Amino acid sequence: MVEAAGAASTGSGILWLIPFLPFFGFLINGLTGRRLKSTKVVDAIALGSVGISFLLTVYFFFQLLAMPEGSRSIHQNLWTWFDLGGARVLGGLSTATIKWAYKFDALSAAMAILVTGAGFLIHLFSTGYMAEERNDGRYYRFMAYMNLFVFSMLNLVLGANILMMFLGWEGVGVCSYLLIGFYFDREYAAVAGKKAFVFNRVGDFGFMIGFFLLIMLFGNVDYDTMMGMVRNLSAAPAITLFGHTATPTFWFNLSASCLFVGAMGKSAQIPLYVWLPDAMAGPTPVSALIHAATMVTSGLYMITRLNFIYVQAPFALSLVLLVGSLTALFAATMGLAQYDIKKVLAYSTVSQLGFMFMGLGAGAFSAGMFHVFTHAAFKACLFLGSGSVIVACHHEQDMRNMGGLRKVMPWTFASMGLATLAIAGVPPFSGFFSKDEILWKVFEHGWNGQGTFYYVCWGMGMLAAFCTAFYMVRLMAMTFFGEYRGAGSDPYGLTVPSEVHHASDDHALDDGHADAHTNPGLHAHAADDLTDHGHAGHNHGPAEVPWNMWVPVFIFAVLAVVLGFLNLPPSLGGLEHFSKWVEPLLYQVSAVHAGHHAAESIEYILMGFAIVWALSAMGLAWWMYISDPSWSKAKAFVARFPQVYEWVNAKYYVDEFYEAMIIGPAKQFSAQLWSLDNWVIDGTVNGAARFTVTMAKASDWFDAKVVDGLVNAVAWGLQQGSLGFRALQSGKVQNYAFVMILGFLAFAFWKFLA
Amino acid sequence: MSGTAQLMLLATFLPILGGLGLLFVPNEKREVFQKATVAIMVASFLLSVPLWFQYNRGSDAVQFAYVCDWMPSLGVKFSVGMDGISLLLWLLTTFTGPIAALCSWGNIEERWKEYYIWLLVLQTSMLGVFITQDMFLFYIFWEVMLVPMYFLIAIWGGPQKLYAAIKLFLYTLSGSVLMLVAIFAIYFLQHKATGQYDFSIASFQSAQTVQLIASQTKTFQILLTLAFFLAFAIKVPMFPFHTWLPDAHVQAPTAGSVILAGILLKMGTYGFVRFLLPIVPEGTKELMPWFLALALIGVVYGALVAMIQKDMKKLVAYSSVSHLGLCMLGIFAMNPWGMKGAMFQMLNHGVSTPGLFLAVGIVYERRHTRMIADYGGLSKTMPIYATIFMLMTMSSIGLPLLNGFIGEATILMGTFQTWPWVAVAATSGIILGAAYMLWMFQRVMFGPISEVNTKMADLNFREIAYFTPLIIVAVWIGLYPKPFMDIMDKPVAKLVMQVQPDFYKAESLAAKQAEAAKVGMHGMEAQEAPETKEHGTAPAEHASEPKAEVSEAHAAPGGGH
Repeated sequence: MVEAAGAASTGSGILWLIPFLPFFGFLINGLTGRRLKSTKVVDAIALGSVGISFLLTVYFFFQLLAMPEGSRSIHQNLWTWFDLGGARVLGGLSTATIKWAYKFDALSAAMAILVTGAGFLIHLFSTGYMAEERNDGRYYRFMAYMNLFVFSMLNLVLGANILMMFLGWEGVGVCSYLLIGFYFDREYAAVAGKKAFVFNRVGDFGFMIGFFLLIMLFGNVDYDTMMGMVRNLSAAPAITLFGHTATPTFWFNLSASCLFVGAMGKSAQIPLYVWLPDAMAGPTPVSALIHAATMVTSGLYMITRLNFIYVQAPFALSLVLLVGSLTALFAATMGLAQYDIKKVLAYSTVSQLGFMFMGLGAGAFSAGMFHVFTHAAFKACLFLGSGSVIVACHHEQDMRNMGGLRKVMPWTFASMGLATLAIAGVPPFSGFFSKDEILWKVFEHGWNGQGTFYYVCWGMGMLAAFCTAFYMVRLMAMTFFGEYRGAGSDPYGLTVPSEVHHASDDHALDDGHADAHTNPGLHAHAADDLTDHGHAGHNHGPAEVPWNMWVPVFIFAVLAVVLGFLNLPPSLGGLEHFSKWVEPLLYQVSAVHAGHHAAESIEYILMGFAIVWALSAMGLAWWMYISDPSWSKAKAFVARFPQVYEWVNAKYYVDEFYEAMIIGPAKQFSAQLWSLDNWVIDGTVNGAARFTVTMAKASDWFDAKVVDGLVNAVAWGLQQGSLGFRALQSGKVQNYAFVMILGFLAFAFWKFLA
Repeated sequence: MSGTAQLMLLATFLPILGGLGLLFVPNEKREVFQKATVAIMVASFLLSVPLWFQYNRGSDAVQFAYVCDWMPSLGVKFSVGMDGISLLLWLLTTFTGPIAALCSWGNIEERWKEYYIWLLVLQTSMLGVFITQDMFLFYIFWEVMLVPMYFLIAIWGGPQKLYAAIKLFLYTLSGSVLMLVAIFAIYFLQHKATGQYDFSIASFQSAQTVQLIASQTKTFQILLTLAFFLAFAIKVPMFPFHTWLPDAHVQAPTAGSVILAGILLKMGTYGFVRFLLPIVPEGTKELMPWFLALALIGVVYGALVAMIQKDMKKLVAYSSVSHLGLCMLGIFAMNPWGMKGAMFQMLNHGVSTPGLFLAVGIVYERRHTRMIADYGGLSKTMPIYATIFMLMTMSSIGLPLLNGFIGEATILMGTFQTWPWVAVAATSGIILGAAYMLWMFQRVMFGPISEVNTKMADLNFREIAYFTPLIIVAVWIGLYPKPFMDIMDKPVAKLVMQVQPDFYKAESLAAKQAEAAKVGMHGMEAQEAPETKEHGTAPAEHASEPKAEVSEAHAAPGGGH
C-alpha cells in the first residue's frame, strides 16, 4: 500500500477539522434546526463553524509560512476510502488505495483561505439578507446548505487526490442545486437548479474521462505521487495505452482536454455557461458565495493543481486560452444589455472567469489564479452590494426601477464603487494588476512569435475589458446615480412595470410568508409594503442596510482595493508574492528560466494603453448614463441598431438553441424509444405470448377437427356402412320371405337362363 | 456442523418456519401477522449479523460450509456455505426483509394471512439462493422463489396484476429452463470425463471442468454460454429482456417492488458472477462484444426511456434497467475495480431503489395515484418525506457522501481500464441519470402545490423507521466503504483469476509509487538537465507544437541504448 504522502509533506492531526467543522455545522443545523426556538442558535452554529475553520486555516497558513519553501505541505490521512485491489495500468499492476486525505499546501492554503474567509463574510451577510426567512422555518435549512457547501468546497480544494477533488466537485454541484432551488415553490427556481446540475454533469462527464485517463497513466490519483512521477512519465519516448502508441504529449493533451470539459461546466465557460445566469434565481448570498467567489473557480483550481499535465499539453492549453477568450468577450457583451442587476453581474462573472482561463491558457498559472482571488473580492463585494440594493429596493431587481441610491446607501455605494474601479481595471485597484498580468502574458506569447492566435486572443481580451468597464459603470449609473425611480418619480419614463418583481424576486411572496413581515425589526417597512407590491406610489424610499450586511460588503471592497499589491509585477517594482508563493507547485519544464521575455518597455506601453482603454470605456458609459439622466443616447443607439440590441439582450439565443437542438430532440428521442419499448420489444414478448395462444388455439382446432375428426370419421363411416345392413334386419317374416323368393328367382335366372 | 453454519441455516430458514407457525393463527388477526412477520424478519436479520464479523476476510474459500448427502446416486448434496460475494447479498436480503414487512402494514387490506406467509416463504427462498453450493439445490431455490412472488403480485397487485404476474413467471421461467439444460449438459459432460455424478458448484467451477468445456466445440460453448446468459439476463434484466420489469413493478404492491428491486434483480447479476464467468469464461469472452453492447444499450436506453415516464414507479423501474446495465458493465470489465464496483452497485441499487419504491408507495397510499403530474410542491407539506426522497434520489444518481457514488465511480473506472470506449459511452448515461431523477423530483416535490396535496400528511413513525436503516447504510457506504470492499476482496480476486489468469502477474508498481510519493512536489522543480531529453523541451510558457517532435527526436536514441 502506498502512503499518500511521503517525506515531502508534514503530517498533522487536526487538519481534518477545517472541512469537517462546517460539516458538523450542517449536521447540527440540518437535524435540529427545525426544532430550535431561536434562529440565533442557527446563526451561532453556522457562523461559528465556518469562522473557526477560517481561523484554523490561517493557523495552518502561518505554519506553512514557517516552513522552507520547497516543502510547504501539510497532510492528514483520515481513512482508506477505496481499496479496489489492483488495476492494470501503464507499466504494470497498481494496488494503490485511494485515501480520504487532506493536503494543505501553498495552493490549497490560498484557496482555503478564500473559501472560509469569503464563506464567513457571506454567512454573516446572509444573517441580514435572509432575515425574512427566520420566521417561516426555512432559515435553518438555508444555513445548513451553506455550511454543507463550504464543506464540499473545502474537500475540493484540500483533498489530497483527484477523487477527493471529485467528491467536492460533485458536492458543490449538489449544494448549488439545493441553494439555487431554495425557493423551490417557484417553478423557475427549481428549473434553474436542475439546469445548473445537469449542465455541470455534462462537464463532469469530461472530468471523469480525464481522470480515468490519468489513472491509466499514473496508476494513482494522489497528487504527491503524480507530481513525483510526472517527469519520468513525460521523458518516456512513447506511451502505449489500449493498444495505441503515442507520445506522452498526446496522452497529456487528451486527458487535459477532457478534464477541461469539466472545468467548462463548473466554471461556466462556453459552451456550458448557460446555467450560471439562471442560477441567479437563488438567494443573493448564494450567488456571491457559490457563483462568484468559490465554486465557479474550481475549474481554475483544478487546472492549476494539475498544471504539471497542462504545461506538457500544448493543445489543451491553447484550447483553454481560446475558450477563455471567447467566453470573456461574449459574456461581456451579453452583460451590456441586461437590466436585471444580478444578471449583469452573472454575465460579468462568466466573462471574468474567461479572463482567468486566458491566464492559464497562456501558461501563466499564477496570474490566472491571482485573478481568482482579486475577482473573488470585488465580485463578492458587487454581489453582496447588489443584494443590499435589492433588499433596500424591496426586492426589485430591475435597474430601471432603481436609481439615486448613492445618497441613501453611502456605505454600499462606496463599497460597490471601489469594486467597480477594481473590476474595470483602474490602477492601483486589484483588478488592474491581475487582469493586466493575464493580458500581458497572452500578448507576450504573440510577441515571442508564437502565432497570431495569441494576438487574436489578446484582442478579444481587450475588447472584453472594454465592455467590462462599460457595463459596470452602466450598472453603477443606473442604480446609484440619477433620482430614485421606484417611488413613482420618473421624469424620463425609464421604469418598467415591475413584473420582475414577482417573477424573479428573490424572496417568496406566498401566503405562509406574510407573517414573516409582521415582525418588527429589519424589514419593518417591508411589511406594509407587501400589500401593495405592485406599488406605483408607496412612499418610503430605500435606506441603508444594517451593519451585518454592509460590513462584509465593505471588507470585500477594501480587499478589492489592496489585494493587487500582493502580486505586483517586477516591472512595477513588485515582488510577485503570490507567484512566488505558488511557484513550488508549478511544473518547471527546464532549469534555465529561458524564454526571452519581451522588453519591459512594451509592457509599460501596454499598461498605459490598458489604463486609457478602461478609462475611455468608463467615460463612454458616464457620458451615456450619468451625464445624461434620460439615457437618450443609449436609447438612440438601440433605435439605430435594433437587431444588435435584440441579439445581445436575448443573449444570442443560446438557450433557445440548446432547447431546440439538444433538449427537445433528446426528449423526442426518448419518446420514440419508449414507443419502441412498448410496441417492438414488449410487443415481441406479448407477441410471443399471443403466438403461443394462437398456436394453442390452432392445435385445439386441429385436435378437435383433424385428429379427433379422423377418429369420428372412422366411427361415422362404420355407422353409415352399418345403416344399410341394419335395413336388412327388419324382423318381418314377409320381408325375409320376399328376399328369399328374390334370391330364389335370381338363382334360377342365373342357373337356367345363362 | 459448525456454529456459524447453524446460524446461517437458522437465519435462512427462520422465515419459512415462522410462516408455518403463522398458518395456525386465525385469519382475522391482522396485527398478529403484521407484528409477527416483522419480528421474524428482524430476528433473521439479527441472526445473520454475527456472520459479518465471523467471516474470514483473508480467505477466498467458501466459509460456514455444511454438506450432507441428499440424493447420493445423482450426486446431489445439501451443500451450503458462503463467500464474501454471497455473504454481502445474503445480508442485503436479511436487511431488506424487515423493511418489506414493515412497509406492508398500511397497504395490504385483505388476505393478510396469505400475504405475510408468502412474504416469509419468499424470504427463505431468496436467502437460500445465496447460500447454496450445489447446482441442484440452487435451481430449486431459484425456481421456488418465483412462486411466492407470483402470488404477491397476482393477488395484492394493481389493476393488471394477473398479466404482470404471469408475464414475470413465464418470462423468468423460460430463461431458467434453458439454464437447467446448461446445468445438465455440464453435469453429463463431467460424468463422461470422470465417471462421477456431481452437482456441487465447486466441481462446476473447477479447473478441470472449465477446461473440459473449453475443449468442446465452439458451437457447444456458445450455446452453453447463451443458455446461462439468457437465464440471468432475463432476471437482471438486461435490454432487451427487460419488459417484464416495469409491468411487474407497477402492478406489484410496495413490498413486492422493494423485494423485486432490492433482491430479485440481484439474482441475475449474482448468477453472472457465480456461474457464467467462472464456468464458461472462454464462451463469455467469445460473446463479450454482444454482451457489452446489450449492457451499454441498457444503460443509455433505460435512462432515456425513464426520462419520459409519467408513472413514478415505471420511471424507477426503467432507472433500474439503466443501473443494472452499469452493473453488468462492471462485471464484464473482468478486473477487480469493475467487479467490486459491480458488487457495490448491487448493494447500492438494493438500498436506493427500494428506497425510491418505498417513497412512491407512501404517496400512493395517501392519494392512490402514482402519476407525476398529480403531484407538485410536496416539499411544502411533507418536509421529512422530501428530505428522505432527496437523499434516495441522490443516492440513486451517484452523488458523493452517499453510496451510489462509490459504485458508479468504481464501475466506470474499472470498465475504462478494459473497455475505454464503452466506459465513455456509459458515462454519458450518468448525465441522463441526473436529468430524469431530478426532473421527477422537481415535478413531484417543487413548484406550486395543488389543493389536494396540501392535505397530505408527512411521514409517521413507522415510515421513518423503515427509511432509517436505508439512509444509514447509504451514508455508511458513501463515507467508509472499506469494510464492504474488504469482505469481497479475496473472492473478487479469485473471480478475476478465473476469468483472466494472468491478471495479477504484471509487475507491481507499489514500490515505484511509494518512491514518487516521497518526491512529491519536488518533482515540480526542474532538474539541472542531466539528460539530453530535458534539453529539447521548450520552457513552459513557450511549449507548443514543436515540443512533441523534439522530445520524439530525442527519444529515438534514448530508446536505442
